[in-house]
Amino acid sequence: MKYAFYTGCVSRGGCPELYTSANKVAGRLGIEMEEMKDVACNGAGVLPQYLSDPINARTFAKAERMGHKSLMTICSTCTGVMGAANMRFKDDPAYREKINKEYLADEGLEYKGSLEVKHLLWVLFEDYGIDKLKGEVKRPLTGLRVSPFYGCFMRRPAEVVTPTKEYAGRKSYLENLISAVGAELTDIAGKGKCCGFPILTANEANSLAMTAKHTGEAREKGAHCMVTPCPLCHLNLDGNQDRAAKQAGSEIDLPILHLPQFVGLALGFTPEELELKRHIVSTKEVETQVNMLA
Amino acid sequence: MQVTFKVYRKEPGKDAKPAYSNHTVELDGDATVMDGLLKIRDEQDATLAFRAACMRGYCGECMIRANGKTCTSCTSKVSSFTQKSPEVTVDPVRHMPVLKDLVSDWQSFMWDKVDRIKPWLEPVEPGADGESLLPESAMADIRKTMSCYYCGLCDEGCTVLPVDFDFIGPAALMKANRLIYDPRDTITRERFKLAEGPRGLWDCVHCFEASEHCPRGIMPTERIMAMRDKAFQMGIQNDSAARHHYSFAKSVKKSGWLDEGRLAIESAGLTNIKGLAKLVPIAAKALRRGKAPIPYIHHKSPGSAQVRRIIQKAEEKNR
Repeated sequence: MKYAFYTGCVSRGGCPELYTSANKVAGRLGIEMEEMKDVACNGAGVLPQYLSDPINARTFAKAERMGHKSLMTICSTCTGVMGAANMRFKDDPAYREKINKEYLADEGLEYKGSLEVKHLLWVLFEDYGIDKLKGEVKRPLTGLRVSPFYGCFMRRPAEVVTPTKEYAGRKSYLENLISAVGAELTDIAGKGKCCGFPILTANEANSLAMTAKHTGEAREKGAHCMVTPCPLCHLNLDGNQDRAAKQAGSEIDLPILHLPQFVGLALGFTPEELELKRHIVSTKEVETQVNMLA
Repeated sequence: MQVTFKVYRKEPGKDAKPAYSNHTVELDGDATVMDGLLKIRDEQDATLAFRAACMRGYCGECMIRANGKTCTSCTSKVSSFTQKSPEVTVDPVRHMPVLKDLVSDWQSFMWDKVDRIKPWLEPVEPGADGESLLPESAMADIRKTMSCYYCGLCDEGCTVLPVDFDFIGPAALMKANRLIYDPRDTITRERFKLAEGPRGLWDCVHCFEASEHCPRGIMPTERIMAMRDKAFQMGIQNDSAARHHYSFAKSVKKSGWLDEGRLAIESAGLTNIKGLAKLVPIAAKALRRGKAPIPYIHHKSPGSAQVRRIIQKAEEKNR
């Protein structure tokens, strides 16, 4: 299993612990990742499509040239935005050709439309295999109560996330992963909703209200922590949780784990190795639980 | 088949807690939830209030929740809810004030917001024959939005409305979309101003729930994002959204990657002392936790010159 690894901005910026833990977990599982260094931000749904599509075509062309069939991300938003762009390029060869000619030819590049965009979570289930992962678990996370939180782009739009029935399972991968590594699922109604991050600057009060709603729900239902495959969600759910709780007039203090941190704990890595200490909300509760298992 | 409906009941103007009434009725195998409600009202309780109009799934008037799933009761088969048990719980749709039983206040939830964006065309002066004729191709883009019948399912699925009742919502934004993209309309800039807020266009989180909920395939989320692109292109934005977008684009243009530190500062506004002051404790905490390196350095992609060339070209083409 070999992938062109697209790090995204956040794992190289505001969430360095995501980059570290993703590399550790992939290394342990034998998932080969060739990091793409010469590429750019995909636009994250903020840049208009007429700017982001050519940039993404360039990224895809580079991955193809590196000889890869799949581009792997560790961010829901990257997956969704690049997945949608890739769909446009695949469905409409004339559009792809136009972008190639207008923007990529100058650099001697061409995107042929052969690539697949996949999040690490999808790779674990669809390429690696969840049973094989179970076999790699060194520290079953028995007793750890975990709530899933997907990030919008891992749930919708259907054309990108679940284009055929074959992919219907993608909407319950997180729940299945939690059970597979021996942890206890604390399901929440808000697991597929928005964390509020996209409107943090446009309407901070609404953004924080969303964060308080979902983390508060998990807390109320007795979760020890939450796991998310989206670092943008992490920035809000972890980074702004204290302000969100204050606005909501409640105490939440729910540790938020990145997907590879959570998998990493089950694979036997220590909380230090997975850089849990970099989080804004203290992860002590998770560490205590995990240390009891060690 | 015999089915027991557990129906949400609320009396208007009374503070008493809402309750459920139970009704067991005999229905045909292909009966709809609406058939059940009509039967209850005809045979058991004439005071049960619910809405119904077209009876064929077009108008959205009869939207309710059956066993937690939002649906038009006139097209939803009872049998699809009774696979596990012969009981169906019927609730009003979420996020809006209930007037009585299953009847909710759509006026404040949706129609007042549609009114907000001047829901009529302000066309150019018609020709001598009194008509403003257009080729079909000029209307192709909005044919889909014109098919919206304001069932409100997109608003019901919206993730912002549950935390902010005053958010304009995707349904009203689709009315704006239908008019903004109509080549006959003459008040595009004003229309954008009406749509953007406060609590309008830029408050949408683009979570794609609206698109997933739309029964007509109008794809409200994608259209809202396209409207933002158009506003961005035309330079029509409120201050905060504009700062955020320009800072984002500037960063990608400069280094290929997004500089989150700079984005936070520039989005707040370089002269916005209060906004910037609010960032200080957040930044301090992030640095203390090792969220960002000290000193803060944003790395350039080796391909940044090529990315800049692409962006400049795309901007020129779309100016």
